[in-house]
Amino acid sequence: MPQSTVLPPGVSEADFKSALRAFAEVVGERWVLASDEDRHSYLDAFAPGDADKHASSAGIAPQSTQEVQAVVKIAARYGIPLWPVSSGRNLAYGGSAPVLRGSVVLDLRRMNRVLEIDEQLGYALVEPGVTFFALFDALQAAGGKLWISTPAPGWGSVIGNALEHGVGYTPYGVHADTICGMEVVLANGDLVRTGMGAVQGSKEWQAFKYGYGPVWDLMFTQSNFGVVTKMGVWLMPEPEAVANYAISVPDYKDLAILVDTLRPLRLNDTINADYTIQNPFRSVMDELSMQGKTRETIYSGSGSLPMELISRELKARNRGMWNVGFNLFDSDKGLDLREAAIRAAFDRVPGSKLQTHRWHRGEPMESWMRVTPALAPLAGVDWYGGPGGHINFAPVIAPVGERVTQLYEAIYKRFIEYGIDYYCGLLNIGQRALVVNAVTFFNRDNAEMTRKGRELYRVLAKDGAALGYGDYRAHISFMDDIAEMYAFNDHALRRLNERIKDALDPKGILAPGKQGIWPAGLRGGARAKGGSQA
Amino acid sequence: MRTLMALWALLCLSGSAWAAGPLTPIQAKGKQAYDHICIYCHSPGVWGTNRLARRMDQEHAVLENRTDLTAAGIRAVVRMGIGSMPPLRRTELSDADVDAIAAYLTRARSVQR
Repeated sequence: MPQSTVLPPGVSEADFKSALRAFAEVVGERWVLASDEDRHSYLDAFAPGDADKHASSAGIAPQSTQEVQAVVKIAARYGIPLWPVSSGRNLAYGGSAPVLRGSVVLDLRRMNRVLEIDEQLGYALVEPGVTFFALFDALQAAGGKLWISTPAPGWGSVIGNALEHGVGYTPYGVHADTICGMEVVLANGDLVRTGMGAVQGSKEWQAFKYGYGPVWDLMFTQSNFGVVTKMGVWLMPEPEAVANYAISVPDYKDLAILVDTLRPLRLNDTINADYTIQNPFRSVMDELSMQGKTRETIYSGSGSLPMELISRELKARNRGMWNVGFNLFDSDKGLDLREAAIRAAFDRVPGSKLQTHRWHRGEPMESWMRVTPALAPLAGVDWYGGPGGHINFAPVIAPVGERVTQLYEAIYKRFIEYGIDYYCGLLNIGQRALVVNAVTFFNRDNAEMTRKGRELYRVLAKDGAALGYGDYRAHISFMDDIAEMYAFNDHALRRLNERIKDALDPKGILAPGKQGIWPAGLRGGARAKGGSQA
Repeated sequence: MRTLMALWALLCLSGSAWAAGPLTPIQAKGKQAYDHICIYCHSPGVWGTNRLARRMDQEHAVLENRTDLTAAGIRAVVRMGIGSMPPLRRTELSDADVDAIAAYLTRARSVQR
């Protein structure tokens, strides 16, 4: 068995060897992945700096819940931190790399069974290694009556994306809302089923979320309190029709009126799926990226892309300054009613333009419907020429035009200060929220560029907190920074998280540092810098 | 950087146009895996293809049309990643599938032999 050159923190080389042997007895030697090549494959492929800071000491790839239980018990015996990943494709948030250097990646990708599809009740029961591609294929094979909600890149895990509060672009787009019933391995190796799954022999596990007593499911999202090994996911019945809308407003000052016009339409469900507002830069950058072009096509100067240039580029394309896109899902008649309400609302917005087209059941699916998984949105990462990567600063804000404009401008000011192009989408999540998703692209091999990107991110986190905002997710390098934003009552939320962590995982085996939740021995000043060299 | 150059050297051995013919069983398996995984970035007009067109030229942009790829180069790129392409882990793409993909993408070489 290959030996790792990185050790888990506080674990001797001899103990780590013994632990790897014990893991091998559970999962088979083949699935103890400790060679340099394997460990390299667990590095963050979009690392904003030195990926080795988050290097794993090995990967362990179980194929069953029982194997996960056994692995967790061995990790507890040796004090080895485990970093569970589902598909490990959460690029821009760390991929499959752990927060704490030297953690062992608990790679659940081999647990890839779609256990159940129920077309009558509209759900699937899946394992962590099931990707959006795989679930899409399984649903098609089952008859095609149910649709998935796929996020931007489709190679992610259905479970992993829901656990990380990911989003899609159908009425089922808030993926954490579609969770119904979980199976979870706890840090002591115990196995729990939530909701109706706690009833022996229940057939209602995926039909009712609440069961009896406290509801725990969301506690296992964006946390390190357990390893989710099965999850029910509600799926949308195929609609009769889908309509795409592209609406633009002409002037830079129109962001507020655009947000305020969309708000009531989304709140009363006229717009029944998440929308995305592209800022002026993103409209141009996306178009060029999809054509395989990079920044140098339009600009070779240093500093942030000038607004005058982007204005000219948009005019040349006959596009407005702000462009919003979304899809509606309904019968044809239902779509007519929704469209009438949308047109009436935007008739009151001077200079707005609306384009629309439809799909009907029986026709081949098209990419604009954003139901078929794809990887095309990744094209943008090479904006600066590549090899690229990106990190996203994404504070949550209610869709109130004046406030959104204020936050948007505060972030823009910093992007100019740091000389980074301001690629930003205002992503709607559910009926009452947006995130201002400000993306920093960089060339990974450019140390100065990645340093500036990291610095900008940290400045934005401080600015955002001072204005009263918090991010909805974070890259592994910034999980503590974002946890800092949630500071009410001297970090009462962190103290609550830590008390739960101590109760469920006193040895701190599961994902130390995830979402800024550290086990007792690694809190505050005692925090380790990560695993030592073997 | 040196590693990347070495990988490119492995990838870019020159070759000549390949003759179309029926695929061997392993090549057919490789095509299936290619169509299931690689195609999302490496079909014409998509990210990986566009990236290769910029890095090299149009002729070398679509992997399936290449005649200059080597099995060792393909294995190295899949496992280590290259440029903007992230590595693919053993848990998501087995060694057997990588070998099959390599057999499919180097079919020109087996035809020449």
